[in-house]
Amino acid sequence: MTGMRKRVTIAFMSIVCLLFISGMLSFVELNRLSRGAGDVLSASRRHVELAKEMLDAAHEQNVALIHLTVLGEKEYEKDCRRAMKRLEFALLTAQEEALDRSFLDSLSFATIEMKVLVDRYLANAAEAEIASVEIDTLAVQELPIDSLLRDTVLLQAAIAKAELPEVSDSERWYTEEYEAVYLRLTAAVKAYMTSTQSSLAPHAEKLKRNAYRAVTPVLISLLVMIAVLLMFYYFMTIYCVNPIVNMNRSLGDYLAFRVPFSVKSDCKDELLELKNKIDSLILQLRQNSK
Amino acid sequence: MMRIDLILRYVGLVMLFIAAFMLLSAVISLASGMDSSFYPLLLSALLTALLGAFPQIFVEKQSQLTGKEGFAVVVGSWLVACVVGMFPYLVWGGDFNLVNALFESVSGFTTTGATIIGDIEALPRGLLFWRFSTCWIGGMGVVMFALAILPAIGRSKMMLANVEMSTLAKENYRYRTQMIVQILSVVYVGITLLSTLLLKAAGMNWFDALCHAMSGVSTCGFSTKSLSLAFYNSPILEAVLIATMITAGVHFGLIYATVTGKRGNLFRSEVARVYLCVIAVASVLIAISLFAAELYPTFGQSFRHALFQVSSLITTTGFATADTNTWTSFAMLILVFVSLVCACSGSTTGGIKMDRLVLAYKMLKARMKQQRHPNAVIRIKLDGTIQESDMLHTVMVFIVAYLMLLLVGSLLGTLFGLDMTTAFTSAVACVGNVGPGFGEVGSMDNYAAMPVVMKYVDALLMLFGRLEIFGLIQLFFMKWWK
Repeated sequence: MTGMRKRVTIAFMSIVCLLFISGMLSFVELNRLSRGAGDVLSASRRHVELAKEMLDAAHEQNVALIHLTVLGEKEYEKDCRRAMKRLEFALLTAQEEALDRSFLDSLSFATIEMKVLVDRYLANAAEAEIASVEIDTLAVQELPIDSLLRDTVLLQAAIAKAELPEVSDSERWYTEEYEAVYLRLTAAVKAYMTSTQSSLAPHAEKLKRNAYRAVTPVLISLLVMIAVLLMFYYFMTIYCVNPIVNMNRSLGDYLAFRVPFSVKSDCKDELLELKNKIDSLILQLRQNSK
Repeated sequence: MMRIDLILRYVGLVMLFIAAFMLLSAVISLASGMDSSFYPLLLSALLTALLGAFPQIFVEKQSQLTGKEGFAVVVGSWLVACVVGMFPYLVWGGDFNLVNALFESVSGFTTTGATIIGDIEALPRGLLFWRFSTCWIGGMGVVMFALAILPAIGRSKMMLANVEMSTLAKENYRYRTQMIVQILSVVYVGITLLSTLLLKAAGMNWFDALCHAMSGVSTCGFSTKSLSLAFYNSPILEAVLIATMITAGVHFGLIYATVTGKRGNLFRSEVARVYLCVIAVASVLIAISLFAAELYPTFGQSFRHALFQVSSLITTTGFATADTNTWTSFAMLILVFVSLVCACSGSTTGGIKMDRLVLAYKMLKARMKQQRHPNAVIRIKLDGTIQESDMLHTVMVFIVAYLMLLLVGSLLGTLFGLDMTTAFTSAVACVGNVGPGFGEVGSMDNYAAMPVVMKYVDALLMLFGRLEIFGLIQLFFMKWWK
């Protein structure tokens, strides 16, 4: 590598590249970290929204059933079915978006239990004379649950169907059967709602680790840059600064005391040329003076 | 006066070589579906290349290096290699914090093979390949690589070799110094390729075969499986690796001479004969002990495991087919002995080296003879060559220094809460660049549970062992730099 300008330019460009890499790394890593934190927060918010929707739907169904069973207002049957659909839709959305499925199984089970019970009641209400209950097995088939859970539910429904006494007292059905299932469902929804909060701690811990990981590449590139800068300083000192200082001193000594001009130079660059030119100039001066 | 700029230039060349291997690992990562190690490897390659290329911009090519400068290039290369070697681990993350990444990097470059990784199978392919690259580069010696790529000729090469290999190793060479590099390269790459092909033929996949061959020839002992060779439970694979390890434990010049049919070959070397005898005797003794203790149902099985473990530890490799912690005390003691002595000079192994043991034995014999005949002039020969008293003195000083280092390592281990077996055997394993010891660092365990301070201490011990103790000590004498 020859030429002082070329050397300095390449060295300078290397440092600029390194700075650019460090900057880009910081930017990318911080973006990633920020996205991670944002994901955790939005997941938490979404959980709460979905849980609220489920609780609202369950409440709507509860109100509709009170009207239906206690007050005997048949027009609320439609509201009851709509609330059930709303609940199912919220559950489906939660399952699609779920990152942590640990609380969803119990929630799915409670929802299906509720659906089977309400469908059975509505079927009974429609055909009060019929002892057997038609359970909407097709609806169960369509539910977004795994096959094992579906089989369990269908089995439970079949057992319930076989053992089902004739329902005549709606109020008794509400207090003895529905209320328990309703409480189980709301408890499952609440557990689902708080699940995000309980999983927030490990998420935060992970983010903390990620923050450490995110700064590691930046720290490494900064360390490399410090090493490169130190080398740059060292090389500039020994290859540029020292030769100029030495030449200046030697030339001064020559002019003042006629001490022979003698400077050592390792690099084949402009400084060597300058030194050679000074040498020739001094030689020329000597020859002229002779 | 040392020319630091020149030292930086040569160390920079080594960095460029390391960066090339990082880039190769990144390519493997890319070929494996751009696994999670691609970005860390690429970034590390870029930074290492920049670090290595920078001195090349300023410092002119110069052929001559003084002894001190050569020395500084060697030690500097090892130290810087260990530091840049941990970049991919650090950036990748996982279990690799600063101390773990440094430990793994030093363990690789010094070909120790000790690891802090519990679940090796969980590592992405690119990082796994980088792990094996460190030991392969380290096996040949960072300096040998520097030599191979250095355009410099003449004295500089021998100056560098002075530190890299024990002085005894050079005695065995009958070639010009320029040829040493070529011989080492041909033998090293040749054994690696042959071993890869044999391992593939014996049932491994290409990646595992190449990695185990790289690990075997560098006598490192890293494996692609947490259970090491026990995972495969294949006598054929074990046989191939036994052959690889034993070959890698012999002086590379002797291997070259044997293959090319030259005079100073393997069968004429006194040291090589002793080395092979020690392997045979130790294996038989351990096999008898294991069979007598009914640890294995047949003598054949006892011998199979005994031979593998002896070959693995005497060559400082550290592969394992069995949990040696469950073996008899007699077997353990023999394994500790072979871990101390290790294989021949001029190979990639660490430890005291068989050459020194043979010379120490001859000196002992000579001393006893001298007591009987006080006026006798007794000369000590090795392979027919009379050994200078300076050389013999150096051998004894090295053995004493080695044992003192073991003592210090063991003391520090017990100070930081390790039991005596773990402390002593981990010191033996680290100073000798062996890898596995006994106790908590047994053949089926790892160094993950070691206290943080001990991980730093062990990393330092590995470097001391790799640089034959005095190589690293010399660096701390400021006066020497002037």
